[in-house]
Amino acid sequence: MNKSHRGGVSLQGAVKRHGALTVLHGVDLDIQPGEFFVLLGPSGSGKTTTLRVLAGLESISAGRVLLDGEDVTDKDPGERDVAMVFQSYALYPHMTVAQNIGFPLKMVGQAADTIARAVADAAAKVSIGHLLDRRPGQLSGGQQQRVALARAIVREPRLFLLDEPLSNLDARLRLETRVELKKLQRSLGVTAVYVTHDQEEAMTLADRIAVFMDGRIVQVGTPQGIFGRPSHASVAGFIGTPPMNLLQATWSGSGIRVGAHGQVDVGSTAPMEREVALGVRPGDLKIVQSGLAAEVELVEELGDSRIAVLHVGDQRVKLKTDSPIELREGQAVHLGFAAKAAHLFDRSSGERLN
Amino acid sequence: MTSSSRRPLVRRLALAAVAGLLLSVWAFPVLWALLTSFKSERDVLAYPPVIFFEPTLAHYREVLFGASSILPNLWSSVVVATSATVLTMLVALPAAYAIARLRYPGKRASGFYVLATQMLPPVGLVIPYYLALQKVGALDTYFGMVLIYLTFSLPFAIWLMVSYFEDIPFEMEEAALLDRAGRLRALWHVILPQVRGGIAVTTVFVFLNAWNEFLFAVVLGGNKVRPVTVAMFNFISVEQTQWAKLAAGAMVAMAPVILIGLLAQRHIVKGLTMGAVKGGGRR
Repeated sequence: MNKSHRGGVSLQGAVKRHGALTVLHGVDLDIQPGEFFVLLGPSGSGKTTTLRVLAGLESISAGRVLLDGEDVTDKDPGERDVAMVFQSYALYPHMTVAQNIGFPLKMVGQAADTIARAVADAAAKVSIGHLLDRRPGQLSGGQQQRVALARAIVREPRLFLLDEPLSNLDARLRLETRVELKKLQRSLGVTAVYVTHDQEEAMTLADRIAVFMDGRIVQVGTPQGIFGRPSHASVAGFIGTPPMNLLQATWSGSGIRVGAHGQVDVGSTAPMEREVALGVRPGDLKIVQSGLAAEVELVEELGDSRIAVLHVGDQRVKLKTDSPIELREGQAVHLGFAAKAAHLFDRSSGERLN
Repeated sequence: MTSSSRRPLVRRLALAAVAGLLLSVWAFPVLWALLTSFKSERDVLAYPPVIFFEPTLAHYREVLFGASSILPNLWSSVVVATSATVLTMLVALPAAYAIARLRYPGKRASGFYVLATQMLPPVGLVIPYYLALQKVGALDTYFGMVLIYLTFSLPFAIWLMVSYFEDIPFEMEEAALLDRAGRLRALWHVILPQVRGGIAVTTVFVFLNAWNEFLFAVVLGGNKVRPVTVAMFNFISVEQTQWAKLAAGAMVAMAPVILIGLLAQRHIVKGLTMGAVKGGGRR
């Protein structure tokens, strides 16, 4: 394992404006060498723009970009020693696979035999050694994706940028490639910054995740940290399959009241009565004897688990369980959860309260 | 062809019939001119027209090597059309690339301007051009003629090339930039090879337009610069029209056009259909 000490990234107060529209509102980011770092967020949240800023494909209106402590804010993409895998792969259609992979080496004037060796090496790492004479048009989507990966790793860059590289693959191939991608990154020891809107992808790949919302980073942390303790209601409502239930509720004392549908103990005590968003993961919700009154709308069977969609008044919640439960549509039940499973957020700002 | 069933055969025949019909409409005047060029002057004017006649090469001899040889005029055409084509492509390629790619103020306006120059009727321009060239002493010179040809070939070539450049996704250049190519080498190694078909189509069209041009050539040329289209016109006079010579001249003048068409056919078909099959490449 040749763990690299290159590839530290620091983004300081990055602002990006397109005319009157602000796409990034002062983004700060610190990525350690060798880290697999995922930028996660819905479309239009600024994650791809941030990646393109790191690549040098977008200039920033304010702020600085540092790579290994060096200010590269005004440097061209080619001068940053970073490689990128595009969502569309952007393979050169008129070149063979070997020429595609060798292109970044040819551009810095390396000798033909050096290039040939490096190309064979990179191709072997992603198992496409037998395709070197083909053209991109003759390859499947998965093979094209590997060519794009090989073209990025052939030059041993200090930073590996990936823009939704799996989104054009079918579901099964995506899962396989995900595992290989992580293994590849580990074995190369290269820093990877990976953009996705798929939170499951982010959770499985990332050492750390930055969650983007509306051009801001709302939380940075490990997958467990972000899942277990979302710092903002928007993160809570984005992470998890299905995501966290968010109910409008009133918090007073150590109890919380959801309209006239019941009261539940949440452990921590409110300084004063306040309106909150109560967050509970679907897997933390239980059917209990007394708690929040709810009505079953429908049950989705997933084989190893099942998801019940219920109504608490006019608010919809989802309950996920591994154990077989007998629920009929229209049935009245009571919902409960452990006090430590309650996440409380300010109703207006979305900030975490407990 | 053992596997082909009856229906595809019928369809193929129908297709061939339609294609043949269209081809005959297009080809009839050309074939008629070809026949005429081998006829004696008497047979040319025979009524009803004769299909079987004693062919003669006299008119070809006359238009190539006789007193009214069009060889010098062919040379004029070669010089004018080639110069105009080379200059056009040298300027049009970077210009079209810039219009397709860069964001700059007035981009829409410049695109429209390029197209608008194609809307002016040439006959309205020929007098101003004549006066302008006369003022600078460039009438009846290759310089003047090529300069005027650029005024219509350049906008046409730019307009055509822009659409080919726009079909190339932005990621192509971005990938090349990250691969340390820089802008010029990204253009040379990555973009231009992908618009080869478009370049071939544009070059051929520009050359053919210049080669076939008549109006500007007849007004702005003279004794020194007289392209073949103008020279052929001389076979038509007040007293008589020398149909057979005219036809022979036309055949000779048409030869390079047909040759270029055949040579570039593969590229042209590819270039013309490229946008159709690819589609959706723009962002």
